[in-house]
Amino acid sequence: MPTEKKEKIILDSVDFFYGTRQVLCDISATFYSHTLTAITGPSGQGKSTLLGLLNCMWKEIPDTRCSGDIQIFLGGQWISPFRKDISLSHLRRKVAMIFQEPNPLPMSIGKNMAFPLKLAGVRDKYLIEEKVRRALEQAFLWKEVKDRLEESALNLSGGQKQRLCIARALILEPEILLCDEPTSSLDSKAAGIIEELLVSLKENCTLLVVSHYLDQVRRIGDLVMTLENEGLTNFKEGLS
Amino acid sequence: MRPSKELLAKSVFLCCAIASAAIILAILGFMVALGIPLFRESTFSAIWSGPWAPHRGAYGIWAMISGTFWIAFLAAMICLPLSLGMSFVISSLAGRRVRKLLGALVRFMTGIPTVIYGFIGIFLLVPLIREGLGGPGICVLTASIMLAILISPTMILFFTDSLLAVNAAYVQAAKALGANRVQRLLYVMVPRALGGMASGFILALGRALGDTLIALMLAGNAIRPPQGFLEPARTLTAHIALVKAADFDSMEFRSIFACGIALYLFTILATIAVRMMARERVAVS
Amino acid sequence: MMRVFMEKMVEYLSWALALLLCLSVSVFLSYLLIKGLPSLGSELVFGKADPLSALLGRERVFDGIFPAIIGTLCLVVLSTLMALPLGICSGVYLSEYATPIMKKVVGGLFDVLAGIPSIVVGLYGFSVAIFLHHHFSDRLGPCLLISAISLGVLVLPYIVRSTQTSLEELPAHIRHTATALGATRLQNIAYVLIPNALSGISSGVILAIGRCAEDTAVILLTGVVATAGVPSSLLSQYEALPFYIFYISSQYTSPAELSNGYGACLVLLGICSVLFMVAHGMQKRLFHWALYRP
Repeated sequence: MPTEKKEKIILDSVDFFYGTRQVLCDISATFYSHTLTAITGPSGQGKSTLLGLLNCMWKEIPDTRCSGDIQIFLGGQWISPFRKDISLSHLRRKVAMIFQEPNPLPMSIGKNMAFPLKLAGVRDKYLIEEKVRRALEQAFLWKEVKDRLEESALNLSGGQKQRLCIARALILEPEILLCDEPTSSLDSKAAGIIEELLVSLKENCTLLVVSHYLDQVRRIGDLVMTLENEGLTNFKEGLS
Repeated sequence: MRPSKELLAKSVFLCCAIASAAIILAILGFMVALGIPLFRESTFSAIWSGPWAPHRGAYGIWAMISGTFWIAFLAAMICLPLSLGMSFVISSLAGRRVRKLLGALVRFMTGIPTVIYGFIGIFLLVPLIREGLGGPGICVLTASIMLAILISPTMILFFTDSLLAVNAAYVQAAKALGANRVQRLLYVMVPRALGGMASGFILALGRALGDTLIALMLAGNAIRPPQGFLEPARTLTAHIALVKAADFDSMEFRSIFACGIALYLFTILATIAVRMMARERVAVS
Repeated sequence: MMRVFMEKMVEYLSWALALLLCLSVSVFLSYLLIKGLPSLGSELVFGKADPLSALLGRERVFDGIFPAIIGTLCLVVLSTLMALPLGICSGVYLSEYATPIMKKVVGGLFDVLAGIPSIVVGLYGFSVAIFLHHHFSDRLGPCLLISAISLGVLVLPYIVRSTQTSLEELPAHIRHTATALGATRLQNIAYVLIPNALSGISSGVILAIGRCAEDTAVILLTGVVATAGVPSSLLSQYEALPFYIFYISSQYTSPAELSNGYGACLVLLGICSVLFMVAHGMQKRLFHWALYRP
């Protein structure tokens, strides 16, 4: 019973086109909740595109086409990001994304953290402070910044910035965390901290991590998905 | 709940964009509407190419069209070598400090109001021309010289930008092959920058066509197609400024709307020309 | 051999022509300074009236440029206030919501508007004034309000373009940051995009202000006069600095008045140079686009 895997995301025959160029071809896969699935493969094979399908970031890019079916189990029910009437902002609060380049907004650390709450309409100051603290603790960053919340986020080191972005993504308590090469721009020490952090987050959410570092994939992935030749060629258990 | 706020915002933005665009068409509309009595009285060709003799009932604005083109083209021709020289110096021939200085000077020139050029022209240039070359001093040449200086920052900055936008890799390659500054400029940068420079020329010409004050203050305002550079002339723009005080219902007054329409059309042609050239350039590169 | 000669010629000619241009401009400016500097002072601005009472509106200034300065100030404020919201909203629409076809069409229309000679815009304002005069009320005619509206139309393209360009040039990662956090499009625009594009937008606004301050052609047709005192209402006629200079150039009756004209030139030059330098300092590329202006 304890090892029973619950399905969280199901892809069924998904194709994706940038204009006329097909980037994903007939992808079918299942991701399980509270696991960390590493997605790897040669560059340009659509790994980031696959992530973008799940939180509809592809809709921000013109001239793209998608077919097939995706079902995500969110908030107790199955929903599909392909549906026309879906509220994108609500979806993205539950399916959060981390990018390769840490992208803190040009404001103070505290304001960066409070920003998603402001977008979601949360006004209670104490609630905001509480959530900020909790998210920063989850991201292993609280001790380092608790006295400098007023300082600009742009002054942090690369690794700290990325942890800030992770904390910021965590503050709305997402169920799924999508990470697009989260350690590519960091030095090995900072990358190590991030890896530890991501593994620790399995407790709270489902993680999909794109990475082209095979050793990283082996270290952190419960499951490994390999994308080659625009198609899924391999989906196997990792050795963590 | 939230979506309605989004939709409202989008509609507001859309309305603004449409309203702004509509203004442009409204300008043309008003001028046509108010100019219609004129078109009903005289024939189309009489207006554009006939003589101006109100006492005879002839309201041809050909003299003004001719004046406009004389002054604008002469100005562009005077401006061209000056701008080429300056842009060559700024983009390649000068050292860093001179480059910065000249650049600052050109930028400063863009801020000089047109009326000040006119003012200086009247008191400084007109007597000079009158004494040096004869004639009344207030003529096509004087206006063109001042106009050339007025539009030169436009041309210079476009030329300089085009020259500097040439792929640095090409310039590097030429340098490695032993080309000196002038050679790099003439054989690598200029050929590739020609498209942008042509756009700059047309834009400056457009500016010259549309200028009012310099022609009004320095060109003499005689209603006669000019036969030489030392003759006075009147431009479409100056005509509009001068005639507006005339009796509202007279045909003479309505002629200013014909001038306005002509200017509007020239503007559209120039804009299209520049856009077409820009597209060609993008396609080629 | 011929080639080397030509290359040398190009080099020398370029320097000579550049020098010629610099020299001409320097001569003009020095001439202006020499003639205008002596007249700078409170008499230029306030004439024979007492400065303090003139400022408080208690005394009318007859032979100073104070009314003209106030007139220009009112024009600038009014026209910018009118063009700003319309321009920024249009720019936001073009950058964030418009389809490529709309961008081309509407963008093309704005290019045309930017290229229209200012006198044609003045003619448009004049036509509107005539229309209102004939169809609504005899009291309506060319006035401060009409001029402000016309100037607003004149500078609208600057504000639209600067808003659109600075938004479009924001790097992709800034756009996606808030979106990935669940921001709606409006939230993204209001909280992230516009604050980040502010320097470019401000640069466009300052350029617009400079353009309003120096324009003569539009106001010639829409209500500026030589003597009207400080504008008493939106529907009244008014004085403006550029027109004062224009008027003096052909209607001066004494050397003192001519000297005042030179002084006014210096004042106007000072105002416009400062505005343009500030605009340039804020955003270089948008500054170049402004050179479309006819």
